[in-house]
Amino acid sequence: MIGWYMAIADAEVGRAAAADATIAAAQSTREPRDLQRTLRLLLATVWLFDAVLQLQPFMFTRGPDGFSGMLNGLAPGNPGWVAHSLTWNASIVYHQPILTDAVFASIQFLIAFGIVWKRTTKYALGLSIVWASAVWWFGEGAGGIFVGRSTPLGGGPGGVLFYAVLAVVLWPSDGSDRPFVAARSVGQRAARGIWVVVWGLLAILMLVGSGRSPRALQELVAGMDIGQPGWLAHIDRESASLLLRHGTAISILLAAVCVLVAVGVYLPPRFTLVTLVLAIVVFAAIWVAVQNFGGILAGGATDPNSGPLVILLAVAYWPLFGSQAVSRIPGSERIAMVKGV
Amino acid sequence: MGTPAGLYYLFALLMLAVAGYGIVLLVLSIAAHSPLGRDVDISHAFMGIAMAGMFVPAWAFGPTAMWELIFAVLMVWFIANSVLSVQLFGLHVPHALIHAVMGFTMVLMYWFPAGATRGSISMSMSGTPTGAHLDGGLGLLLEFVLLGSAIFTLASPNKGASHHGSHIPVHVMSGASGPGAPVGPHGGPGVGLPGDIEARVAIPWLEDLTHVVMCIGMAFMLILMV
Repeated sequence: MIGWYMAIADAEVGRAAAADATIAAAQSTREPRDLQRTLRLLLATVWLFDAVLQLQPFMFTRGPDGFSGMLNGLAPGNPGWVAHSLTWNASIVYHQPILTDAVFASIQFLIAFGIVWKRTTKYALGLSIVWASAVWWFGEGAGGIFVGRSTPLGGGPGGVLFYAVLAVVLWPSDGSDRPFVAARSVGQRAARGIWVVVWGLLAILMLVGSGRSPRALQELVAGMDIGQPGWLAHIDRESASLLLRHGTAISILLAAVCVLVAVGVYLPPRFTLVTLVLAIVVFAAIWVAVQNFGGILAGGATDPNSGPLVILLAVAYWPLFGSQAVSRIPGSERIAMVKGV
Repeated sequence: MGTPAGLYYLFALLMLAVAGYGIVLLVLSIAAHSPLGRDVDISHAFMGIAMAGMFVPAWAFGPTAMWELIFAVLMVWFIANSVLSVQLFGLHVPHALIHAVMGFTMVLMYWFPAGATRGSISMSMSGTPTGAHLDGGLGLLLEFVLLGSAIFTLASPNKGASHHGSHIPVHVMSGASGPGAPVGPHGGPGVGLPGDIEARVAIPWLEDLTHVVMCIGMAFMLILMV
């Protein structure tokens, strides 16, 4: 009996494995991977994640412990007209928590699935830019810029803005992935310009407002350990202590790193690579030790914060050499490997 | 106020639909003597029923240990499939791997149900004796993997292939050759069933869709649990 089962099992495992290999072989001979589309799909994954997060009980909850309470809490300290717009939005969410949250979640599902389907990719990315801008204002209180709480350590100038930047640099287009994927959409010059603006802004925000205040930086992390797994709570305590003791020095150091990363795209590819690795490592560390994965592990998070998006942006600027680059010829399905040069 | 109960019922119904579709495909594949993809159908059937019981406790049945055993066996089966695939054909991502991850996720959800109190309809299973919680970091990783699988499955040009890894031309399969050879529900060799029924039921994009729905449902449940 056991022998008979094993024979059947072997046959099935073998067939499935053969199927895998056949598909893998078919894909490898069909066409090289479209890196721009792959990065777009990663962006779609983050949008889908946001959409699912929008379905948490907290989002449908009315009052100070709910989504409307969180939105309302963004208003204090802002200029009157900014605060008014934030409380107006919070009021709508307060009165119709289920309807508004259902709409918010639906829009994010629409963006995620729209990016996947080639015929709707551009519409979905366009919608994502509009939606990200609205969320940046109404859902993140303009990233805290008006109240001087916009340090990149906490996600400033607003994690959701990176969705919009990624939508621009990953806009579907034909052409070569060389020298980096982001250049395919907007051209090398514009792509480098966007990069410099983004990282220049991050460098400035590291130093202005509460960005260089040890106490303010410590407060970013202090208290976040509630509801976190033990290992993350431990990291929180360490990073809070470090920021309290050396907050200003860390801010200046990180600002210098941002400037280096900003100019990195104008350096020879090997040096660019080093600056990109530096950017990825630094923001991965910030995402874990300061942003706490956007607070997802403690519940009540609306998105994973800026960490993974900054990393995805850095990958879009990854220098490609030789056969890694794919050239897509407009008006034809022919795909050629770009070699040399 | 929390998540409207209707949303949980919606997810539960979707999970049951996935399970039902898996059972139909399973019956068809048995009738057609086409074993390819049968493991995924069995897996989806169990996962769909179990997940429906997590979203709506009144629909849950059977002891926790039984479900743990089922999903542990499925996980081991898919891991073995993945390892064999890599051994035979070199380094690649076998389709069975994501099903192994899903099996692993199910085991975890039964093993660490104690944290599942954030939902308005809390899970029906009793907590572990130690009251242990699923680690948030592991949960987050699994959520990203599941949602990534959903997106990349939808984007795959090989409709159905990323689901079963078995939608290949009949002539490459052992036991069938030539353009006239019968085709099973998952594109494998089959005998006896009218092609009409198979063509109407075993639709590659629908198979992908069930995988996507299952991934999203599982990720949502993980978020509620962590």
